[in-house]
Amino acid sequence: MLKRIEDWNYYELLAVERTASQDEIWAAYQAALTTYKDGSPALYGLVGEAERALVLDRVHEAFQTLRDPEKRKDYDLALLRHAPYFPAKAPFRRSVGRLEIEDAPPKKGLRARLRRLLVRKP
Amino acid sequence: MDKRIWAIGGGKGGTGKSFVAASLGLHLASLDRRVLLVDADLGAPNLHTLLGIRASHPDLGDFLTNAVPSLESAAVETPYRNLRIVKGSENILFIANLNHYRKLRLLRQLRQIEVPTIILDLGTGSSFNTLDFFLSANPGVVVATPEPTAVENTYLFLKSCIMRVLKLYMDHYKIRDLHQKMLDQIEKNSQSLYGFFKSLMESDRAYGTILYRALRGFRPCLVMNKTRDERDVLLGRSIADVARKYLLIDMKYLGAVPYDEDVTSSLRDLKPFFVEHRDSAAARAVRQIAEELAYSIEFTLRTPPEISLPDA
Repeated sequence: MLKRIEDWNYYELLAVERTASQDEIWAAYQAALTTYKDGSPALYGLVGEAERALVLDRVHEAFQTLRDPEKRKDYDLALLRHAPYFPAKAPFRRSVGRLEIEDAPPKKGLRARLRRLLVRKP
Repeated sequence: MDKRIWAIGGGKGGTGKSFVAASLGLHLASLDRRVLLVDADLGAPNLHTLLGIRASHPDLGDFLTNAVPSLESAAVETPYRNLRIVKGSENILFIANLNHYRKLRLLRQLRQIEVPTIILDLGTGSSFNTLDFFLSANPGVVVATPEPTAVENTYLFLKSCIMRVLKLYMDHYKIRDLHQKMLDQIEKNSQSLYGFFKSLMESDRAYGTILYRALRGFRPCLVMNKTRDERDVLLGRSIADVARKYLLIDMKYLGAVPYDEDVTSSLRDLKPFFVEHRDSAAARAVRQIAEELAYSIEFTLRTPPEISLPDA
């Protein structure tokens, strides 16, 4: 929706998905550095110097946070509170409203668990 | 019929709009798809020269002056199979200042004509005629080159498109007094478009939502032409990103066409570069771009059905 640059969250700022891997984040960071570096031709005629510096600072900040798994998890949780995230492939999470991916039990042994539930031993 | 109208436009002259239009047309025609190229560069038409054809009648001017009954009959065959062209008019002074009703007639005929692919080659600049042709296409493709002048004019062109879209919707919904307010505010600074919407949302949320949706429905594509290295290719990506953040539009970067000295020499021999140098990197890039465009259905389907042009 309509947002000021200052209000863009780190993922929007770097134009990556919230599920992006470390490599994707690094690549997006490099791309953002090229876009907002001093004298970047991509800003010519549209974005002023002060504005550019501001966005670049935020880009650094975003990368510093997202590259550290601990910091990223804290940030994700804080973000989730006021901007819930519903990945297109898992619409059922809509009802949960919290980070499920890391809390969910591992998929290993799913079959055995199901069998234990379904097939009761006499 | 799955009909596509593509418009090739941009803010600066000499970026290669006609080159891209001609090459895309030749490529699609070689894939057995019937293509109609329309030289809608009203001020300085030269698309036929890029295809190695000399100017002759009938042309777009004959259609606009009712010398021929329909756009269909103004189209002439080219030496290439499946490819036809409506040449630009030589009667420049008359046609460059096309009036509103003639423009509507042309837009209507473009919609009605039974050709699967129409490629409009637009002129430079941001005159209302050019903008309306660009906005009627789905999608419109902006061609830029990696120079500050071209980048600056690309943003100007996009801004003009945005203002035009908003103006059309304002007229449609009879929101008259907003237009001047928008002009005053958007001139101010880079985040002005955001500011305009913000204040509009506060004062009138319903209109704000309508106009914001209209803006999000405008989804142009970008092609970088004459790129010389990786940096130039990445510049296109940066421009799309900046447009997304500051102009609030979703622009798709289709790719880059590398600089090729042979383009000029082909032009001197009056032979299409795309046919003469099929295996060059530039020709390969054009094929890639055509593919991106052809598969951009998902991207373009989200646009609103059609802007109905208000009466003058």
